[in-house]
Amino acid sequence: MSEGPSMQEVLLEHVELARTLRRLEIHFDPEACKGVWQCYEVCPIGCWIPDYDGRVVEFHHGERCIACGACVLQCPEGAIELRVPDA
Amino acid sequence: MATVFMKWLETRPEVYDRGIRLLTLGRLAKLHEELVSRFVSPGMTILEIGCGTGTLTRSAAEAGAHIMAIDRAPVMLAIAEDRLSETDLGDRVSLKLMDASLIGDRYDPESFDLVISSLAFSEMTAHSRSFMLAEIIGLLKPGGKIAIIDETIPEGLLKRVAYGLLRFPLRVLTWLLTRTTTHPLKAFPDELVRSGYSSECAASSLGGALQLWVAEPLPEEDGSVDAGLEIEQLTYRRTMRTYLLDIWSLFFRIIPPYPKFTPGLYKIGQPDDNSPILVTGNYELTVRRLVKAIDGALDAWLLVADSNGINVWCSAGGGFFTAERIIEAVRTSGVDRFVKHRALILPQLCANGVDGWRIREETGWGVHWGPVYARDIPAYLEANRKKKDAARWVSFPLKDRLEMLSVTLAFYGLLIMIPVAIFWRDGFWAVMMALVGLGLFYAITLPWLPGRDGLQKSIPLTIIALLGTLIYTALVDPVPPADVFNRILGITALSVFTAAELQGMSPLMRGEQANWIPEALVGSVLLASYFLVPILVGWT
Repeated sequence: MSEGPSMQEVLLEHVELARTLRRLEIHFDPEACKGVWQCYEVCPIGCWIPDYDGRVVEFHHGERCIACGACVLQCPEGAIELRVPDA
Repeated sequence: MATVFMKWLETRPEVYDRGIRLLTLGRLAKLHEELVSRFVSPGMTILEIGCGTGTLTRSAAEAGAHIMAIDRAPVMLAIAEDRLSETDLGDRVSLKLMDASLIGDRYDPESFDLVISSLAFSEMTAHSRSFMLAEIIGLLKPGGKIAIIDETIPEGLLKRVAYGLLRFPLRVLTWLLTRTTTHPLKAFPDELVRSGYSSECAASSLGGALQLWVAEPLPEEDGSVDAGLEIEQLTYRRTMRTYLLDIWSLFFRIIPPYPKFTPGLYKIGQPDDNSPILVTGNYELTVRRLVKAIDGALDAWLLVADSNGINVWCSAGGGFFTAERIIEAVRTSGVDRFVKHRALILPQLCANGVDGWRIREETGWGVHWGPVYARDIPAYLEANRKKKDAARWVSFPLKDRLEMLSVTLAFYGLLIMIPVAIFWRDGFWAVMMALVGLGLFYAITLPWLPGRDGLQKSIPLTIIALLGTLIYTALVDPVPPADVFNRILGITALSVFTAAELQGMSPLMRGEQANWIPEALVGSVLLASYFLVPILVGWT
């Protein structure tokens, strides 16, 4: 039983994961947005609202975000990130 | 804590290898030897499909061959790499993380003398196997061969019965010890012949349950390669099996093994070459709900991709349901032969793990995000693939809250109530009532309890529960202060636990694993006061 991570390492990793999951926030760069609205298509909470005049989206109700990461993955411009805010 | 331990167990490579050794009674290594000694010679170029932890890879390399070994499981591949680094075979072996369905794109035609595979073909669907066998023909040099080791169900009634009797307890034991299992092949030689190969069983073990097949492509006859698989039609039916399954999943759906549906292409109604293609994962309840919503309402193709038998949201979030799995399903099912259009409709909730752009680039197919709930699909298609906002948002109505409550309570009920029943029989009904009562109260009042996550909501829940307990103690069942104190501790612990753990059942809050540090802190404080306060106050 010498290979692989120890119980303690897995536990610590889990602690870190739990901490991160609680603190993740959406960071959106409106300058990079080209208005494909994939984020609007996939957000199950309704945090992304298309701006039909400006051909971009707006991020609303950040406090409801469940950090599922769908918008981050589907944004072709990489304009959306899930980050732990800087201390 | 349980999840941490399970995860730790899963990351132990020797556990998988031990499971396979147990399941094949140690005979797999013999067949590996047989394959290498008879069919591998120095200087050969070999492709290995599904190398796993790299046991066969290593022995073939030791025999002097050059090997490209691919596998789609990063964990397995990492172990193979680790083990390889302990040897000096590094320059003869190249390990790649790759789905087997991509071999035709990634390797040049006629580049291998031999294609080998051990226990990988039985993990594929019939569609995938027939696709893979066709791809391999193009990759083999003239005179090249395939050598495949796999489990099979023996032919002949008597052997089958003996096999079943031996295999069932072995399977249960192996699952319990190592959480590993396999799905033996049926009539694999026929599949080889249908795909245009000769087939010869070169060695067999365990009364035919484990076999080594060696085959080479036959000269091509006109149109013989197209296997022309029947597409099965799915209809919504209720049988004894579905009723039993529904009852089981009402309480224990989070306990694996999950009911899996065979991946592949299916028909719902009578689809034609203009009908939409709906993609989903292979959790049986998902497929059944989808068929229920579509059957009778419209005609469609259903492409079931492999999500490890888990619902699409969790599977995509956990990294099991990916763009690669869907690309594999599109390729191996040959769905392009049945439709004129090139549009896939994916469940919106798999967007957290399935990279839509990767599917678009790799296959040239359009990717459209369908509604969250299957019941909204007919309206979505009627509106030309436009969703109303209500169809793109998850909701958590009372019916779902109660359903999830029974799932969660059944599981935690077992974890908590069994120890209580053993060690504290007097308290059994009190704890049971508290657990069920708190759970019900929480599930019903969830939308109105203040707080944004389970932990914040645990504060109002605890206050209400404590008020209830104190009123009950004062009016109905007065007890000495030490017992009042214990009741307060117990109710606080159960309330915090209920609210924080049941967060995971809600699609509107982050996963409950986000809570476990504060929860563990509250738990330790309560436990410490249970032991310390009576000493400080002087209760006996």
